[in-house]
Amino acid sequence: MDANFLITTIIGTVCFAVLAPVIGCLIDGIDRIVSARMQGRVGPKLLQPYWDVRKLLGKDKVAVSGSEDTYIGLALFFAILAGGIFFSGGNLLLVVFVITLSSLFFIVAAYSTRSPYAEVGAARETLQVMSYEPMVLFMAVAFYQVVGTFDTSGVFLLRHPAICTAWGAFIGLCFVLTIKLRKSPFDISSSHHAHQEIVKGITTEMSGPTLAKVEIMHWCETVLFMGWVGVFFVFSHPISILVAVLVALVIYLFEIWVDNNFARVKWQAMLKWAWIVALVAGGLNVAVLAFI
Amino acid sequence: MGFASKSPWVIHYDASSCNGCDIEVLAALCPGYDVERFGIINTGNPKHADIFLVTGSVNEQNKPVLQEIYNQMLEPKVVVACGCCACTGGVFHDCYNVIGGVDQAIPVDVYAPGCAVRPEAIIDAVVEGLGVLEQKAAALKENQKKGA
Amino acid sequence: MELVGFLILFPLLSAIALYFIKGNGARKAIVLGSAAVIAFATLVLCIGNVSTPPVFYDFESTIVEVACMVIGVVIGAIVLWFAWKYKNVLAGVLGAVQLVASVVFDLVFAHSVHVAQGLYIDSLSVMMAFIIGIIGSGICVYALGYMEDHVEEHPEQDDRRPLFFALMFLFLSAMFAIVFSNNMTWMFTGWEVTTLCSFLLIGYTRTDEAIANAFRQIIMNIAGGIGFLVALYYCAARMGTLDFNQFIQMGLSAPAVIALPVCALAFAGITKAAQMPFHSWLLGAMVAPTPTSALLHSSTMVKAGVFLLVKLAPLFAISVAPAVMVVLVGGITFTLASFMAISQSNAKRVLAYSTIANLGLIVACAGVGTPEAVWAAMFLILFHAAAKSLLFLCVGTAEHHIGSRDIEDMDLLFERMPQLARNMMVGIMIMFVAPFGMLISKWATLVSFVDNHQVALIVLLAYGSAATFMFWAKWLGKLSGVAGNPDNVEATVHKSEWGAIFTMTTLALVFCIALPWLSFAVVLPYIDGVYHQPVFSLDSDVLALMSILSLAVIIVLVAGSVGGSKKRRVGAYLAGVSVDNLERTYRNSLSQEAKASVRNMYLSDIFGEERVTPVGVVSTTIIIVGAFAAALATMTALL
Repeated sequence: MDANFLITTIIGTVCFAVLAPVIGCLIDGIDRIVSARMQGRVGPKLLQPYWDVRKLLGKDKVAVSGSEDTYIGLALFFAILAGGIFFSGGNLLLVVFVITLSSLFFIVAAYSTRSPYAEVGAARETLQVMSYEPMVLFMAVAFYQVVGTFDTSGVFLLRHPAICTAWGAFIGLCFVLTIKLRKSPFDISSSHHAHQEIVKGITTEMSGPTLAKVEIMHWCETVLFMGWVGVFFVFSHPISILVAVLVALVIYLFEIWVDNNFARVKWQAMLKWAWIVALVAGGLNVAVLAFI
Repeated sequence: MGFASKSPWVIHYDASSCNGCDIEVLAALCPGYDVERFGIINTGNPKHADIFLVTGSVNEQNKPVLQEIYNQMLEPKVVVACGCCACTGGVFHDCYNVIGGVDQAIPVDVYAPGCAVRPEAIIDAVVEGLGVLEQKAAALKENQKKGA
Repeated sequence: MELVGFLILFPLLSAIALYFIKGNGARKAIVLGSAAVIAFATLVLCIGNVSTPPVFYDFESTIVEVACMVIGVVIGAIVLWFAWKYKNVLAGVLGAVQLVASVVFDLVFAHSVHVAQGLYIDSLSVMMAFIIGIIGSGICVYALGYMEDHVEEHPEQDDRRPLFFALMFLFLSAMFAIVFSNNMTWMFTGWEVTTLCSFLLIGYTRTDEAIANAFRQIIMNIAGGIGFLVALYYCAARMGTLDFNQFIQMGLSAPAVIALPVCALAFAGITKAAQMPFHSWLLGAMVAPTPTSALLHSSTMVKAGVFLLVKLAPLFAISVAPAVMVVLVGGITFTLASFMAISQSNAKRVLAYSTIANLGLIVACAGVGTPEAVWAAMFLILFHAAAKSLLFLCVGTAEHHIGSRDIEDMDLLFERMPQLARNMMVGIMIMFVAPFGMLISKWATLVSFVDNHQVALIVLLAYGSAATFMFWAKWLGKLSGVAGNPDNVEATVHKSEWGAIFTMTTLALVFCIALPWLSFAVVLPYIDGVYHQPVFSLDSDVLALMSILSLAVIIVLVAGSVGGSKKRRVGAYLAGVSVDNLERTYRNSLSQEAKASVRNMYLSDIFGEERVTPVGVVSTTIIIVGAFAAALATMTALL
């Protein structure tokens, strides 16, 4: 067995565990400010998400089922591991599977509380996973077809960025990103602020430190997904990393714009459109790449 | 200052208000006053909330509801009675079914009078409540240390 | 070779003994003893032949030839007798055709063709033997306790346990015969014996539904058997060989010649592996007692179908018509069966659809036929056998103790049957998420599809996997619920059931953790023996990471569920005043007591059987007919 691989993964995971929450927290802070400005408000301070989490960590520690803690811990761990593998140049498909595992533990945590609102949220989250999964797989496959390996480190050997030939997969990814980030119009599993159709959906029964872990997990996920966006733009030229970061920011701003301008849809519409977009943008892209 | 007062998430419950105070509570949360500047978010889930905004007076019917929501909130938590009815029962104080203000059901930390209570008064009361929140957070921390 | 012969004959002897000895105690002793002997012999065989290259044994026997013919006639006679008894014309006609065809074949053709090496062993048959010998006999042990409860619960039915257990062991014997025979006639005999055994097992309860489903099974599988016979005729008459290995070697050098027999054999494999449009027999098989389902789904019957297809894989890589048929039928079956699994709340039906789906994936892998695809197919077979038998056993035990096999009724199983629920959850997780085995195999499948530019399969796999996540995750969620203090109903589970369940769980987990080693010691030697070229499948370091992660997840889950949280417990939010929070009852806005309960989503408007089945049946039928037309055209062109 290749010891180098394990060591890189461990180092990558530790670095990700330290850096991703910081970056994710800042992105979240920017998100809230930009959203507020779009609604004609001033909005909170940049560090507001950090303060929220610190407050949650200081709250009383309670549990509903007693096992949700274990599940959330695993979900957080696998989200961090996925990020670690991705940013240390590991296998993209492995990243996809590990982050899916993280989602699964998140879902099971909600189910384990057996609370009506959390269960509805968990069921909807399952639907969300089912909606975006095909597109995410197409993205990984298209990446492989372009780069020649599933390893993300492979992009540094490219002469052109992957976006040149995989733009279909990129568009599809941007579409399902809204679902993955749980933003409107696809925030059906965990209602955003103030539209509390199912209380807080999947996170209804998670409180205090448990909720803080969920928030940190979301930050890590955000950074990872932005990495997915950026990886399409990186190639052998060093300046491309800067471009990738910029593109990721632009895409995130676009997601905020979508979030603020679209009303929540029903799950039927989400499933239908996510699958159609996956087939048209992702499937076609994969087909074209397979035969050229 | 600790973190408890930097991110006060509120939950709003209408005990038996005429909706006048409720409108003002929501007005405070809307862009006009933009309380998110202070990290205030309306959660709608007692398990996530730090500050409990109650409007209207208490009667036999809603007393257990109030108590349930209060009990489901985690320490540290603060209760703000918004409007005259929530403070004392207001004009309904001698109604046959009215027990009185919110403090007849759960402990109240801050009283915000007014009929209807003005958004400025609510914001004022919440800011007042932040001090209490900090004290309770410190007490909780102390307790946890002792427990551990 | 003696060991191989022993493994084929010993279960047969046990079966005969079990049929004639009626005493309960004696039966118990024979089943336990035989299962132990079979498992031990299997272990000896597997350990002695780890990483074995293909070894062919010189073995020719007129006795076996005659026995095969006699068995063929007996099977035909039994089918005809049942067809006459229950007035089933189609089964009668097919049975008669097969009876005549096989007798004519044995008397006229088979005599002229000699197969010098009747038996063989290679790494794939070692793996299959492990599945049959360990998992299969584990299921037989489980059946002891299960059938005791079954007989108690159904006093209106005759206690026909002697027949039941005899059939179970006969099944094992036939399976061993299939995986070790190099003589295609012998293989065919084993093939038909499994068909007959499952016919009798499905019809065990003799209810109208059971009889109808048994006939559906026998009709479809005899059709497949006739396909096998067509291939035998072709091989004997045109190619002059009935040596399976020789047949494959000849095919590799002349792909056009074998297009038709490979199509016919693939057709037989597809029917046996319950692929669309023949999937309905496996769903119908659910009426049988649960050990039967476990046996059919995990270690025998359907595995015979995919075993044959995996053996044929090198031919699919070069022969277009059968390959297209197998690839598309498998791919379509995988996706559509996964879709339909979403719409089911009956746990056994979910398992059945999941079996059909996973077999579809194996079939598609075999159809792709590259070393990487075969690597994936073999792991799919292995993990599916372990995890699926575990799940069936768990569902069977749950059914006897909670009185339902509906997933919605498994609410709170985590507390009502704590050990069982945990075993079930392990089984479910192994079926669909990283870092466990099935997902690794699926991953390898995806890589092999991409490398071969199988775009249709990539698309089918992407959507099918998404559906897979949905139906497993919601089941897992339902099991994980914790609330209240329901009665623990686990105390009365038979020891034999626990024994089998824990064996399966341990096996499945060991497979997951030992994955890198299994790849190196079992799967790669087979591929090397067949393709003589290295495999570039998943990196060994990725496999190692997965094995470490599996271990970590298991430890954390076990520790988490044993230790429990020390946090203060609070009630769930019910948007009202709780009456009894643990029971999730509350006072609603009309001051009435109400109970909050949630059912999972089944999306039957989208993924309902009546919507999806016709699509699958029509498309796969067209594909199969088209493939046969193409193969016939190739043959006529040759003539």
